[in-house]
Amino acid sequence: MPNEGMLVAAARGGDTTAFERLYRAHCSRVFGLCLRMTRRRDVAEDCVQQTFIRAWRSLDAFEGRSAFGTWLHRIAVNEVLMHQRNRGTRAELDTRSERAASVEDAFEEPWQPPSSNERDAGEVMDVERALATLPAGSRHVVILQAVYGYSHEEVAEMLGIAVGTCKAQLHRGRKLLRERLGLPEADA
Amino acid sequence: MSEHMPEARDPKLANTLDPRLPNTLDAMLAKLPREVQPARELWPDIAAALDAPRSASRTSHAAPRFHTGRRWQLAAAAVLLMTASSAITYALMQRSLQAQVMQARQQTVQQMQPVLAATPASFGYQRLGPEYARVHAELDAQSVRYLRSLPSIERTKVERSLADLRRAARELSARLAEHPSDPLLQELLLSTYQNEIGLLTRVNDLGAGLGADL
Repeated sequence: MPNEGMLVAAARGGDTTAFERLYRAHCSRVFGLCLRMTRRRDVAEDCVQQTFIRAWRSLDAFEGRSAFGTWLHRIAVNEVLMHQRNRGTRAELDTRSERAASVEDAFEEPWQPPSSNERDAGEVMDVERALATLPAGSRHVVILQAVYGYSHEEVAEMLGIAVGTCKAQLHRGRKLLRERLGLPEADA
Repeated sequence: MSEHMPEARDPKLANTLDPRLPNTLDAMLAKLPREVQPARELWPDIAAALDAPRSASRTSHAAPRFHTGRRWQLAAAAVLLMTASSAITYALMQRSLQAQVMQARQQTVQQMQPVLAATPASFGYQRLGPEYARVHAELDAQSVRYLRSLPSIERTKVERSLADLRRAARELSARLAEHPSDPLLQELLLSTYQNEIGLLTRVNDLGAGLGADL
Protein backbone atom coordinates (compact mmCIF):
# COMPACT_ATOMS: atom_id res chain seq x y z
CA MET A 1 0.00 0.00 0.00
CA PRO A 2 1.57 3.33 -1.06
CA ASN A 3 2.33 5.78 1.69
CA GLU A 4 1.11 9.32 1.68
CA GLY A 5 4.31 10.70 0.18
CA MET A 6 4.01 8.35 -2.75
CA LEU A 7 0.38 9.30 -3.24
CA VAL A 8 1.26 12.99 -3.18
CA ALA A 9 4.03 12.42 -5.72
CA ALA A 10 1.70 10.48 -7.97
CA ALA A 11 -1.02 13.09 -7.67
CA ARG A 12 1.49 15.79 -8.47
CA GLY A 13 2.18 13.90 -11.67
CA GLY A 14 -1.49 14.05 -12.59
CA ASP A 15 -2.72 10.78 -11.10
CA THR A 16 -6.29 11.51 -10.03
CA THR A 17 -6.69 8.04 -8.52
CA ALA A 18 -3.87 8.77 -6.12
CA PHE A 19 -5.44 12.12 -5.33
CA GLU A 20 -8.77 10.45 -4.65
CA ARG A 21 -7.05 8.21 -2.12
CA LEU A 22 -5.64 11.28 -0.44
CA TYR A 23 -9.11 12.76 -0.47
CA ARG A 24 -10.58 9.62 1.13
CA ALA A 25 -7.92 9.69 3.82
CA HIS A 26 -8.41 13.34 4.74
CA CYS A 27 -11.93 14.26 3.74
CA SER A 28 -13.68 13.63 7.04
CA ARG A 29 -11.06 15.47 9.02
CA VAL A 30 -11.20 18.50 6.72
CA PHE A 31 -14.98 18.36 6.81
CA GLY A 32 -15.02 18.29 10.60
CA LEU A 33 -12.84 21.37 10.68
CA CYS A 34 -14.90 23.25 8.08
CA LEU A 35 -18.18 22.27 9.73
CA ARG A 36 -17.13 23.59 13.11
CA MET A 37 -15.75 26.79 11.64
CA THR A 38 -18.75 27.50 9.40
CA ARG A 39 -21.46 25.85 11.52
CA ARG A 40 -23.30 24.93 8.35
CA ARG A 41 -23.20 21.60 6.64
CA ASP A 42 -23.82 22.91 3.11
CA VAL A 43 -21.19 25.61 3.44
CA ALA A 44 -18.74 23.15 4.95
CA GLU A 45 -19.27 20.78 2.04
CA ASP A 46 -18.56 23.58 -0.42
CA CYS A 47 -15.44 24.52 1.48
CA VAL A 48 -14.21 20.92 1.49
CA GLN A 49 -14.68 20.68 -2.26
CA GLN A 50 -12.91 23.95 -2.86
CA THR A 51 -10.13 22.88 -0.53
CA PHE A 52 -9.37 19.73 -2.49
CA ILE A 53 -9.71 21.45 -5.84
CA ARG A 54 -7.33 24.16 -4.73
CA ALA A 55 -4.99 21.56 -3.26
CA TRP A 56 -4.92 19.68 -6.56
CA ARG A 57 -4.07 22.83 -8.44
CA SER A 58 -1.40 23.80 -5.93
CA LEU A 59 0.21 20.41 -5.41
CA ASP A 60 3.40 21.65 -6.98
CA ALA A 61 3.65 24.13 -4.13
CA PHE A 62 3.48 21.46 -1.45
CA GLU A 63 7.07 21.03 -0.39
CA GLY A 64 6.55 18.45 2.31
CA ARG A 65 7.76 20.70 5.10
CA SER A 66 4.56 19.99 6.98
CA ALA A 67 2.25 17.00 6.97
CA PHE A 68 -0.05 16.85 3.98
CA GLY A 69 -3.01 17.00 6.35
CA THR A 70 -1.71 20.18 7.93
CA TRP A 71 -1.25 21.71 4.50
CA LEU A 72 -4.82 20.77 3.62
CA HIS A 73 -6.08 22.31 6.84
CA ARG A 74 -4.37 25.58 6.01
CA ILE A 75 -6.10 25.66 2.66
CA ALA A 76 -9.40 24.72 4.30
CA VAL A 77 -9.12 27.50 6.86
CA ASN A 78 -8.41 29.92 4.06
CA GLU A 79 -11.46 28.72 2.16
CA VAL A 80 -13.65 29.19 5.21
CA LEU A 81 -12.31 32.66 5.86
CA MET A 82 -12.77 33.62 2.21
CA HIS A 83 -16.31 32.33 2.29
CA GLN A 84 -17.08 34.30 5.40
CA ARG A 85 -15.55 37.45 3.97
CA ASN A 86 -17.60 37.04 0.80
CA ARG A 87 -20.70 36.43 2.82
CA GLY A 88 -20.08 39.55 4.87
CA THR A 89 -22.43 40.32 7.66
CA ARG A 90 -25.15 38.02 6.39
CA ALA A 91 -23.72 35.31 8.61
CA GLU A 92 -24.63 37.36 11.62
CA LEU A 93 -28.27 37.27 10.60
CA ASP A 94 -28.43 33.53 11.20
CA THR A 95 -30.28 32.72 14.33
CA ARG A 96 -28.55 30.87 17.09
CA SER A 97 -31.04 28.04 16.89
CA GLU A 98 -30.38 27.59 13.17
CA ARG A 99 -26.67 27.32 13.84
CA ALA A 100 -27.11 24.87 16.65
CA ALA A 101 -29.56 22.78 14.64
CA SER A 102 -27.17 22.60 11.72
CA VAL A 103 -24.32 21.48 13.92
CA GLU A 104 -26.49 18.95 15.68
CA ASP A 105 -27.74 17.55 12.38
CA ALA A 106 -24.23 17.18 11.19
CA PHE A 107 -22.85 15.45 14.25
CA GLU A 108 -25.83 13.44 15.32
CA GLU A 109 -25.61 10.43 13.03
CA PRO A 110 -22.14 10.15 11.54
CA TRP A 111 -20.15 10.07 14.71
CA GLN A 112 -20.46 6.87 16.66
CA PRO A 113 -17.20 6.06 18.38
CA PRO A 114 -17.05 2.43 19.44
CA SER A 115 -16.32 3.21 23.04
CA SER A 116 -18.85 5.97 23.51
CA ASN A 117 -21.85 5.69 25.76
CA GLU A 118 -24.95 7.85 25.91
CA ARG A 119 -23.51 10.11 28.54
CA ASP A 120 -20.42 10.79 26.44
CA ALA A 121 -22.52 11.39 23.35
CA GLY A 122 -24.69 13.86 25.23
CA GLU A 123 -21.63 15.62 26.55
CA VAL A 124 -20.15 15.83 23.08
CA MET A 125 -23.33 17.43 21.78
CA ASP A 126 -23.33 19.91 24.66
CA VAL A 127 -19.78 20.93 23.82
CA GLU A 128 -20.58 21.16 20.11
CA ARG A 129 -23.57 23.37 20.84
CA ALA A 130 -21.53 25.59 23.13
CA LEU A 131 -18.76 25.83 20.54
CA ALA A 132 -21.27 26.85 17.89
CA THR A 133 -22.44 29.80 19.97
CA LEU A 134 -18.97 31.30 20.38
CA PRO A 135 -18.09 34.44 18.43
CA ALA A 136 -16.25 33.60 15.22
CA GLY A 137 -12.82 34.78 16.36
CA SER A 138 -12.80 32.77 19.56
CA ARG A 139 -14.49 29.79 17.95
CA HIS A 140 -11.90 29.49 15.20
CA VAL A 141 -9.03 29.62 17.66
CA VAL A 142 -10.58 27.11 20.05
CA ILE A 143 -11.35 24.71 17.20
CA LEU A 144 -7.89 24.89 15.67
CA GLN A 145 -6.01 24.75 18.91
CA ALA A 146 -8.04 22.80 21.43
CA VAL A 147 -9.73 20.42 19.02
CA TYR A 148 -7.22 20.02 16.18
CA GLY A 149 -4.09 20.53 18.18
CA TYR A 150 -2.29 23.34 16.43
CA SER A 151 0.09 25.62 18.30
CA HIS A 152 -0.56 29.31 18.93
CA GLU A 153 1.92 30.17 16.19
CA GLU A 154 0.33 27.85 13.66
CA VAL A 155 -3.17 29.06 14.46
CA ALA A 156 -2.08 32.67 14.25
CA GLU A 157 -0.56 32.05 10.84
CA MET A 158 -3.59 30.17 9.55
CA LEU A 159 -5.99 32.87 10.66
CA GLY A 160 -3.74 35.77 9.77
CA ILE A 161 -3.71 37.19 13.27
CA ALA A 162 -1.03 38.00 15.83
CA VAL A 163 0.02 35.32 18.31
CA GLY A 164 -1.07 37.58 21.15
CA THR A 165 -4.51 37.94 19.60
CA CYS A 166 -4.68 34.19 19.24
CA LYS A 167 -3.94 33.70 22.93
CA ALA A 168 -6.50 36.30 23.92
CA GLN A 169 -9.15 34.71 21.72
CA LEU A 170 -8.41 31.30 23.18
CA HIS A 171 -8.73 32.65 26.69
CA ARG A 172 -11.99 34.35 25.84
CA GLY A 173 -13.35 31.28 24.09
CA ARG A 174 -12.51 28.97 26.97
CA LYS A 175 -14.08 31.36 29.44
CA LEU A 176 -17.30 31.52 27.43
CA LEU A 177 -17.34 27.75 26.98
CA ARG A 178 -17.00 27.21 30.72
CA GLU A 179 -19.85 29.60 31.38
CA ARG A 180 -22.11 27.96 28.86
CA LEU A 181 -21.26 24.45 29.98
CA GLY A 182 -21.61 25.36 33.64
CA LEU A 183 -18.03 24.44 34.42
CA PRO A 184 -16.10 26.03 37.29
CA GLU A 185 -13.16 28.33 36.66
CA ALA A 186 -10.89 25.95 38.51
CA ASP A 187 -9.55 24.11 35.49
CA ALA A 188 -8.18 27.22 33.83
CA MET B 1 -10.12 7.17 12.21
CA SER B 2 -7.75 6.55 15.05
CA GLU B 3 -4.66 6.68 12.85
CA HIS B 4 -5.31 10.35 12.22
CA MET B 5 -5.95 11.40 15.74
CA PRO B 6 -2.39 11.33 17.04
CA GLU B 7 -1.41 13.87 14.39
CA ALA B 8 -3.37 16.54 16.20
CA ARG B 9 -2.94 15.18 19.70
CA ASP B 10 0.72 15.87 19.84
CA PRO B 11 2.89 17.74 22.32
CA LYS B 12 1.71 21.02 20.88
CA LEU B 13 -1.38 20.54 22.97
CA ALA B 14 0.50 20.44 26.21
CA ASN B 15 -0.31 24.06 26.88
CA THR B 16 -4.03 23.65 26.42
CA LEU B 17 -5.10 20.13 27.28
CA ASP B 18 -4.61 18.02 30.34
CA PRO B 19 -6.05 14.52 29.87
CA ARG B 20 -5.39 13.77 33.53
CA LEU B 21 -8.36 15.94 34.44
CA PRO B 22 -11.38 14.05 33.08
CA ASN B 23 -14.00 16.61 34.03
CA THR B 24 -12.31 19.71 32.75
CA LEU B 25 -13.12 21.70 29.68
CA ASP B 26 -9.97 20.35 28.08
CA ALA B 27 -11.07 16.80 28.58
CA MET B 28 -14.47 17.58 27.10
CA LEU B 29 -12.90 19.21 24.07
CA ALA B 30 -10.60 16.22 23.70
CA LYS B 31 -13.63 13.96 23.31
CA LEU B 32 -14.85 15.81 20.25
CA PRO B 33 -14.39 13.82 17.07
CA ARG B 34 -11.87 15.33 14.75
CA GLU B 35 -13.37 13.47 11.82
CA VAL B 36 -16.93 13.94 10.61
CA GLN B 37 -18.27 12.26 7.50
CA PRO B 38 -20.06 14.53 5.03
CA ALA B 39 -23.65 13.53 4.43
CA ARG B 40 -23.14 13.31 0.70
CA GLU B 41 -20.41 12.14 -1.61
CA LEU B 42 -18.24 15.15 -2.43
CA TRP B 43 -15.69 13.47 -4.68
CA PRO B 44 -17.60 13.51 -8.01
CA ASP B 45 -17.77 17.31 -8.05
CA ILE B 46 -14.14 17.52 -7.07
CA ALA B 47 -13.12 15.01 -9.74
CA ALA B 48 -15.02 16.98 -12.37
CA ALA B 49 -13.08 20.09 -11.46
CA LEU B 50 -9.72 18.34 -11.65
CA ASP B 51 -9.86 18.28 -15.42
CA ALA B 52 -8.86 21.92 -15.50
CA PRO B 53 -5.12 22.35 -16.06
CA ARG B 54 -3.27 22.47 -12.81
CA SER B 55 -1.61 25.76 -12.04
CA ALA B 56 2.10 25.64 -11.75
CA SER B 57 1.93 28.69 -9.59
CA ARG B 58 3.26 28.77 -6.09
CA THR B 59 0.42 30.91 -4.86
CA SER B 60 -0.81 28.40 -2.33
CA HIS B 61 -2.58 29.79 0.69
CA ALA B 62 -0.68 27.39 2.80
CA ALA B 63 2.87 28.33 2.18
CA PRO B 64 3.21 31.89 1.00
CA ARG B 65 6.19 32.53 3.19
CA PHE B 66 8.33 30.17 1.16
CA HIS B 67 7.97 32.12 -2.05
CA THR B 68 10.13 34.86 -3.35
CA GLY B 69 8.68 37.66 -5.40
CA ARG B 70 10.67 36.56 -8.39
CA ARG B 71 9.35 33.05 -8.41
CA TRP B 72 5.85 34.32 -7.96
CA GLN B 73 6.18 36.61 -10.93
CA LEU B 74 7.57 33.86 -13.09
CA ALA B 75 4.81 31.51 -12.07
CA ALA B 76 2.24 34.21 -12.69
CA ALA B 77 3.58 34.58 -16.22
CA ALA B 78 3.13 30.88 -16.78
CA VAL B 79 -0.42 31.02 -15.46
CA LEU B 80 -1.27 33.92 -17.73
CA LEU B 81 0.07 32.04 -20.70
CA MET B 82 -1.83 28.89 -19.84
CA THR B 83 -5.02 30.86 -19.35
CA ALA B 84 -4.78 32.53 -22.70
CA SER B 85 -3.98 29.25 -24.37
CA SER B 86 -7.08 27.74 -22.83
CA ALA B 87 -9.12 30.69 -24.04
CA ILE B 88 -8.04 30.00 -27.60
CA THR B 89 -9.01 26.36 -27.27
CA TYR B 90 -12.35 27.38 -25.85
CA ALA B 91 -12.93 29.79 -28.70
CA LEU B 92 -12.23 27.06 -31.21
CA MET B 93 -14.66 24.74 -29.49
CA GLN B 94 -17.34 27.41 -29.59
CA ARG B 95 -17.05 27.66 -33.32
CA SER B 96 -19.98 25.47 -34.20
CA LEU B 97 -22.26 27.28 -31.76
CA GLN B 98 -21.35 30.63 -33.17
CA ALA B 99 -21.58 29.68 -36.80
CA GLN B 100 -25.08 30.97 -37.33
CA VAL B 101 -24.39 34.24 -35.63
CA MET B 102 -21.23 34.68 -37.60
CA GLN B 103 -23.03 34.21 -40.89
CA ALA B 104 -25.15 37.23 -40.13
CA ARG B 105 -22.04 39.23 -39.33
CA GLN B 106 -20.16 38.10 -42.41
CA GLN B 107 -20.73 41.15 -44.56
CA THR B 108 -19.80 43.59 -41.83
CA VAL B 109 -16.61 41.78 -40.98
CA GLN B 110 -15.61 41.63 -44.62
CA GLN B 111 -15.97 45.38 -44.89
CA MET B 112 -13.94 45.96 -41.74
CA GLN B 113 -11.15 43.59 -42.66
CA PRO B 114 -10.47 44.04 -46.34
CA VAL B 115 -6.89 42.86 -46.03
CA LEU B 116 -7.81 39.49 -44.69
CA ALA B 117 -10.83 39.13 -46.86
CA ALA B 118 -8.84 39.78 -49.96
CA THR B 119 -5.89 37.63 -49.08
CA PRO B 120 -5.81 34.70 -51.46
CA ALA B 121 -3.44 32.21 -49.88
CA SER B 122 -1.15 33.39 -47.12
CA PHE B 123 -2.55 34.44 -43.77
CA GLY B 124 0.61 34.78 -41.76
CA TYR B 125 0.96 37.73 -39.44
CA GLN B 126 2.99 39.51 -42.09
CA ARG B 127 -0.33 40.19 -43.80
CA LEU B 128 -1.23 42.45 -40.88
CA GLY B 129 1.28 45.01 -42.04
CA PRO B 130 4.95 45.90 -41.60
CA GLU B 131 4.40 47.62 -38.23
CA TYR B 132 2.84 44.51 -36.75
CA ALA B 133 5.62 42.36 -38.17
CA ARG B 134 8.24 44.67 -36.66
CA VAL B 135 6.63 44.69 -33.20
CA HIS B 136 6.17 40.95 -33.33
CA ALA B 137 9.79 40.36 -34.24
CA GLU B 138 11.05 42.65 -31.46
CA LEU B 139 8.86 41.10 -28.83
CA ASP B 140 9.76 37.62 -29.97
CA ALA B 141 13.48 38.33 -29.80
CA GLN B 142 13.15 39.88 -26.36
CA SER B 143 11.05 37.07 -25.01
CA VAL B 144 13.55 34.49 -26.25
CA ARG B 145 16.21 36.28 -24.20
CA TYR B 146 14.01 36.46 -21.09
CA LEU B 147 12.87 32.89 -21.45
CA ARG B 148 16.48 31.68 -21.33
CA SER B 149 16.74 33.06 -17.81
CA LEU B 150 13.68 31.21 -16.53
CA PRO B 151 13.96 27.99 -14.56
CA SER B 152 13.56 25.06 -16.92
CA ILE B 153 10.11 24.05 -15.66
CA GLU B 154 8.62 27.50 -16.08
CA ARG B 155 10.42 28.03 -19.37
CA THR B 156 9.06 24.77 -20.74
CA LYS B 157 5.52 25.74 -19.80
CA VAL B 158 5.80 29.19 -21.33
CA GLU B 159 7.35 27.82 -24.50
CA ARG B 160 4.67 25.16 -24.71
CA SER B 161 1.95 27.78 -24.41
CA LEU B 162 3.52 29.93 -27.09
CA ALA B 163 3.89 26.86 -29.29
CA ASP B 164 0.21 26.08 -28.79
CA LEU B 165 -0.78 29.58 -29.84
CA ARG B 166 1.47 29.48 -32.89
CA ARG B 167 0.24 26.07 -33.91
CA ALA B 168 -3.33 27.34 -33.62
CA ALA B 169 -2.40 30.32 -35.78
CA ARG B 170 -0.85 28.07 -38.42
CA GLU B 171 -3.87 25.81 -38.49
CA LEU B 172 -6.25 28.74 -38.74
CA SER B 173 -4.13 30.26 -41.47
CA ALA B 174 -4.25 27.02 -43.41
CA ARG B 175 -8.01 26.83 -43.01
CA LEU B 176 -8.35 30.43 -44.13
CA ALA B 177 -6.41 29.62 -47.26
CA GLU B 178 -9.18 27.17 -48.10
CA HIS B 179 -12.01 29.43 -46.94
CA PRO B 180 -10.73 32.98 -47.29
CA SER B 181 -14.08 34.63 -46.67
CA ASP B 182 -14.95 32.75 -43.48
CA PRO B 183 -15.42 35.53 -40.91
CA LEU B 184 -15.15 33.22 -37.93
CA LEU B 185 -11.75 31.96 -39.04
CA GLN B 186 -10.68 35.53 -39.64
CA GLU B 187 -11.70 36.59 -36.17
CA LEU B 188 -10.08 33.59 -34.56
CA LEU B 189 -6.84 34.17 -36.41
CA LEU B 190 -6.78 37.83 -35.43
CA SER B 191 -7.58 36.90 -31.87
CA THR B 192 -4.79 34.34 -31.84
CA TYR B 193 -2.29 36.89 -33.10
CA GLN B 194 -3.49 39.37 -30.52
CA ASN B 195 -3.13 36.80 -27.77
CA GLU B 196 0.35 35.90 -28.90
CA ILE B 197 1.36 39.55 -28.88
CA GLY B 198 -0.28 39.99 -25.50
CA LEU B 199 1.58 37.05 -24.04
CA LEU B 200 4.92 38.10 -25.46
CA THR B 201 4.31 41.56 -24.05
CA ARG B 202 3.51 40.17 -20.61
CA VAL B 203 6.60 37.96 -20.63
CA ASN B 204 8.73 40.91 -21.59
CA ASP B 205 7.11 43.19 -19.04
CA LEU B 206 7.71 40.63 -16.32
CA GLY B 207 11.22 39.99 -17.56
CA ALA B 208 11.98 43.70 -17.51
CA GLY B 209 10.50 43.96 -14.05
CA LEU B 210 12.80 41.26 -12.76
CA GLY B 211 15.82 43.43 -13.16
CA ALA B 212 18.70 44.18 -15.41
CA ASP B 213 20.38 40.84 -14.76
CA LEU B 214 18.25 39.33 -17.45
